[in-house]
Amino acid sequence: MSKNISEENSRAGTASDAAVVQSGGVLSMHGFGVTIIRFVIIGGFLLLWEIASGRWIEPFLISSPSRILSSLVTGFTSGDLIQHTWVTFQEIAIGFPVGAISGIALGYWFGRSRLLAEIFEPIIIALNGIPRTALAPLFIVWLGIGLWSKVGVVFLLTFFLNFFNTYTGMRQMDREYVDLANLMGVKGWKLTFKVILPAISPYVFTGIRTSIPFAVIGAIVGEFVAATEGVGFFIRMSAGIFKTADVFVGIIVLMIMVIVMDKIAERIERRALRWQTQTEHIQIQA
Amino acid sequence: MAKTAIQTSQENQPVIQVENVSKLFRTPSEGLISALQDIALNILHGEFVTVVGPSGCGKSTLLKLIAGFSAPSSGRILCQNEEVRGLNTKVGYVPQESKLFPWLTVEENVGFGLDSKRYPREKREHQVQQFIKLAGLAGFEKYYPAQLSGGMSKRASIIRALAYEPAVILMDEPFGPLDAQTRMVLQDELLKIWEQKRQTIVFVTHDLVEAVALADRVVVITHRPGQIKDIINVPMKRPRNIFEIHRQEGFDEAYGRLWKIFRHELNIGTH
Repeated sequence: MSKNISEENSRAGTASDAAVVQSGGVLSMHGFGVTIIRFVIIGGFLLLWEIASGRWIEPFLISSPSRILSSLVTGFTSGDLIQHTWVTFQEIAIGFPVGAISGIALGYWFGRSRLLAEIFEPIIIALNGIPRTALAPLFIVWLGIGLWSKVGVVFLLTFFLNFFNTYTGMRQMDREYVDLANLMGVKGWKLTFKVILPAISPYVFTGIRTSIPFAVIGAIVGEFVAATEGVGFFIRMSAGIFKTADVFVGIIVLMIMVIVMDKIAERIERRALRWQTQTEHIQIQA
Repeated sequence: MAKTAIQTSQENQPVIQVENVSKLFRTPSEGLISALQDIALNILHGEFVTVVGPSGCGKSTLLKLIAGFSAPSSGRILCQNEEVRGLNTKVGYVPQESKLFPWLTVEENVGFGLDSKRYPREKREHQVQQFIKLAGLAGFEKYYPAQLSGGMSKRASIIRALAYEPAVILMDEPFGPLDAQTRMVLQDELLKIWEQKRQTIVFVTHDLVEAVALADRVVVITHRPGQIKDIINVPMKRPRNIFEIHRQEGFDEAYGRLWKIFRHELNIGTH
């Protein structure tokens, strides 16, 4: 994160003047110091954890970094963990893009049609008021304990965040761009893809990126409720038999999943929004 | 050469006919206000017309009506003998702020209106390049609007409207927010481009010097109700030298007439 900030500052620096560029150099030194201190803190925490485990606190409560590491290795070498990860990955790989795309599409559609928005907006807001994870048991009833019930929960969590962000973008969008394009004889698909979607893309990307952790939450909650495999199942089962190290292994796998997805989305966002001088950080809560 | 023949035959033909147009707005504080009242105006083919008036007099509203962004409360507007209903795609529009599409490069912005013309690729590229060169933006084709200075994005915004050659180009105080020098340079460039292309331009401004310097005719609109007070012919020779416009024959006379109207409007004593 600090890397992003310093990059942004140096970009702004080249645009304004030399003095800022110089302070950009100071800033990267500063950034280096920050990184060092951060690693010292993390290292210290892990060390303390390792020492505490077995001496002051029972290992079955908090496990220890070394135990977690060895569980991680055996988990992957036995192939067991790979299978669970693969299952969870599938649930997200189907539910997330479908949820994101339909959320974006509906948000766009509502933004284009006043009538549609007027009719459905209160309904959508009411539905959004439901704590969505509470619907997970229903999905199990409807779609069984296999893959599709989890896909459903992932879809649900992803959909609303993307819908609300896109719809907000449509309402905030500068109408004059659309008017100008229309005046130039541009309409239909070209208007959608060359004007409207680029105009709201900062909002769309905010929706996509905020929904990534929620997609993972959806998959795990679904697996907690009823499942025979998946990382969520693995965590619940391990906790049930006090294999605390395995619980942490599952958490680490999920953490990596979120980070990798976010990094990929960030890359795509950077490319798609390279026309912006600096990233405007739009935060919308659904 | 056939094109020239058509142009001559079109000369002195009105492209835009504004027939007794009025526009009312409802505001929460003042109720119904009349932004424009009984406007009648013909704009001829190839003409450079400026519309001048105090802020809030409805001159921008007139442009919006011609572009079809909104409909007149009464009266009608014809563009090439067809009544304007809904968006008028025969006109190009240069808004007050540049409003370049920030996600497209200069090149893509300038070529944007050409897509619906279905030109062959080569002609399209030639057209874009020609206008970019005319506006002095060569070398900046791949730049995004955020990387351009105010003057440069203004230029790009103007040639975006010129490049696809609409019948009329409407400009809504395009040089308003610029500093005096940049303004003059851009006025000069606009006239140079116009002299080559001879497209019909309706140019709204509140600056009296600018109004006279650019125009064949100056339309003077008064404040509330927005009515046409006078239409002044500017018989100055072309090409004009913007930087020494005060010394050109005919400037003083036209400017004097204009100023007399505004002095009266502003109630700055009479003699």
